[in-house]
Amino acid sequence: MFMNVSLQTSTADDAIFPRQSQCFRPAALLCKSLKRRGCFGRCGGFVGRFRRGVVPVSSSQMDASHKHVKADCEALLARFQQTQSVRFEVFANIWREMKFSQIFRGVVKHEKRAFCHLVLNTAYCYFLPPFSFQIRVGGLYLLYSLYYTQTASPSEQIHLALKDWEEVKKFENNAIDAQHMDAVYILRHLMFCKAFRFTAMPTLLCFQTNKVKERSVLREEFIERASRPQELISSGLLEEMSNVSDLYENMKASVLSQMTTPGDSSFNLIRKDLVSQLSGTVQEFYNWQREKETFDENENSQEDTSQKVCSNRAELLASIKSKAFGEAPETLKSRRHRRVEMNSTTEASAALLNQGYTRILKQSLRKRTRDALLLSGEFPTDFRLKHVRLTQTAGVSVVTRGLAAAEYVETFQRSLRSSIRFRCV
Amino acid sequence: MSLRAPLARKNMAESKQTPDANTGIPEYEYIDVNTKPFHVGSFRDEWLARLRPEDFSFQQEDEETFEANFAAEMGLGADTMAELKSACSIDSLRCHPEDEQLSMDDVPSNPRLKTLIQRKRKQERASSHNIHKNRHDFYADELERLTIGRPPEMGADRIPKGEVLLTINIYHPAVYEKFNFTRPCMTLLMTGSHTLTELRDAICCISDLQVCGEFSKTPDVAPDFISKDHFKSAFFFFEGVFYNDMRFPECQDISITTVEWAKAHNFPQYSQAKMEDTRFVDLKVKVGFPYLYCHQGECEHIIIITDVRLFHKTDCLDKNLYPLLTHKHRSLTQKCAVCHVFIARWYTTNDQFAPSDPCLFCDQCFRILHYDTEGNKLGQFFAFPYTDRGAFN
Repeated sequence: MFMNVSLQTSTADDAIFPRQSQCFRPAALLCKSLKRRGCFGRCGGFVGRFRRGVVPVSSSQMDASHKHVKADCEALLARFQQTQSVRFEVFANIWREMKFSQIFRGVVKHEKRAFCHLVLNTAYCYFLPPFSFQIRVGGLYLLYSLYYTQTASPSEQIHLALKDWEEVKKFENNAIDAQHMDAVYILRHLMFCKAFRFTAMPTLLCFQTNKVKERSVLREEFIERASRPQELISSGLLEEMSNVSDLYENMKASVLSQMTTPGDSSFNLIRKDLVSQLSGTVQEFYNWQREKETFDENENSQEDTSQKVCSNRAELLASIKSKAFGEAPETLKSRRHRRVEMNSTTEASAALLNQGYTRILKQSLRKRTRDALLLSGEFPTDFRLKHVRLTQTAGVSVVTRGLAAAEYVETFQRSLRSSIRFRCV
Repeated sequence: MSLRAPLARKNMAESKQTPDANTGIPEYEYIDVNTKPFHVGSFRDEWLARLRPEDFSFQQEDEETFEANFAAEMGLGADTMAELKSACSIDSLRCHPEDEQLSMDDVPSNPRLKTLIQRKRKQERASSHNIHKNRHDFYADELERLTIGRPPEMGADRIPKGEVLLTINIYHPAVYEKFNFTRPCMTLLMTGSHTLTELRDAICCISDLQVCGEFSKTPDVAPDFISKDHFKSAFFFFEGVFYNDMRFPECQDISITTVEWAKAHNFPQYSQAKMEDTRFVDLKVKVGFPYLYCHQGECEHIIIITDVRLFHKTDCLDKNLYPLLTHKHRSLTQKCAVCHVFIARWYTTNDQFAPSDPCLFCDQCFRILHYDTEGNKLGQFFAFPYTDRGAFN
């Protein structure tokens, strides 16, 4: 207490004899202080003082859950996308299967409003353009469902930004044209219930410059395929172009014939078959796009399985760990007043644990590595990237950082043959 | 609405004159950080031009009329409409049997959603580790809870429809370095028709309450000389314009030094305007960008307009309650050195009775210790009125 006071003396003195009158303040001092704090400059504003950022209340917890909410929404929308439908019944089925209403359960009372806002704002992103029409319909259904199942009272509204309004109108027109009555009805119903707040920006902005933000990654399979080239180069346009091109060609030819002797074809003023080249290129682009898509799908399915394996392993490790640390040690007498609680594992991990007991006898790391290398004939990229050091039994180390792939494999095999212990650094 | 119409027309005319056609549509300057500058009045007009009157009115439409209109517009028959309605009903989203009553306060067992798994894990951690609860977060929206959804008062005090609502955060003068983030000191809701002076009057800062001088001989008259009444000049700084408070004859233009300094040093030119003549709808601002409020000569605050939007029917619609305080930061208080109970009011130096130099006392302890029953000063000391940071708690 006293220390606090004495620490404060300088500032407190300052506060008590701050100023006798306003004109007493030397003008230069004010300027200096303003300058020091970076008040001048066009857009520099007070940025310097705000390096540290301004975090609104309870946003830290919200940031943590944002990632998970986003993942959940994406899981729902991915399933919706697989159905290739835009019907609300289909969406509602998936919603029920995933028990999505539960997302609001267990939110602490004072965080309810903030959480509802977060959830609605996350879903709002999927209702906007970079995504394909089907995902946007899914996003709309998600907004509708979340808006009506939310627990905040009175309900939290969806923040609709002015810049997005045109997109919403376009979306509505598209849906009307395609006779997707359920989408139109739901959008109109939200408007009718005044579920939207007409705002400047979808979120509250408070100049959070230093927030470590993982760049919001848009899921690629949700995004509409770029179709501008195809739209631009329509058959009508091609016809028009070929006409114009013919005319141009004729004109050039006539000018050329006036200037030089006829039959001299060394001049090549015009590009021949422009139109067919153009349409060929667009066709090629379209084919490439489709190929890429199918390729991506295949790759994704492969990745999925490998990811599943990884996450299974991670979960297993986690469950083993929690089992090891889960047993509460006998409390010391002096520590009896401090509660030691078992960190109860969730059912999911318990199930995993049981599963994990059927122990798989694994071969040694060396054996597995060798098999992998010899069988595939190709060695893992990780190895190449990292500094790989082979530590021999004698203690001599061979650094194989800059070696080419083939050389490396050879060295590796040789070292294995001569039963050298190896270690990755 | 009739009142606003000529005004809206005037603003529209103004916005047509400006070369930049998109001046009313806010766009991001830096994504999720702040927007480009836009005119608040034309922002409102842009919204009103796009919306139907029933979209932003405060009355709830009749459900049957809505359905009838919808069916007529889309050319749907009665049975198609009924089918559509049942297909899109909210009941189809229920994840549990209808008769089951669920408490929404606990995380369900065996959750599959990632959010719930994380929430469950967090709750388990919190219960096992006895995690300290953050009271700042707990009471952060205390005031908001009081005002949100307050039933609209009927009559003349009602907010006219189509009005804009601004959310304004005010921050402490950030002179300290040790905090790595700052909570807003106040959050205010203001309407577009408020002038900047109303914002000025709504901002409470302890430097307005400070008393200058030594009052050990006459402790009773001290509260009569607070700085607010002496030094009335202040300015806001938004987008290159200094808005000076010139309501009173003793007000001075305290921004002139900065403006002249900038002129002399080849900085971009700053202009000046009067605070009392400027309404929020007349302002051109960036949302999310820090601006300055300066009063008492050098007490500076950061002002951030975090949101501008149209009024919604769930907002508090009583005009008299605005500027509406929705968040108030509670700061730590310095207690009296004697009783350790009350907030300090006096600051003494060269004090023979005090355990330290300087020392803080509450009003009661100060008088008991330093004055006799007739109120005569005992001993030698200097006493200065002290205003605590938490005076507005």
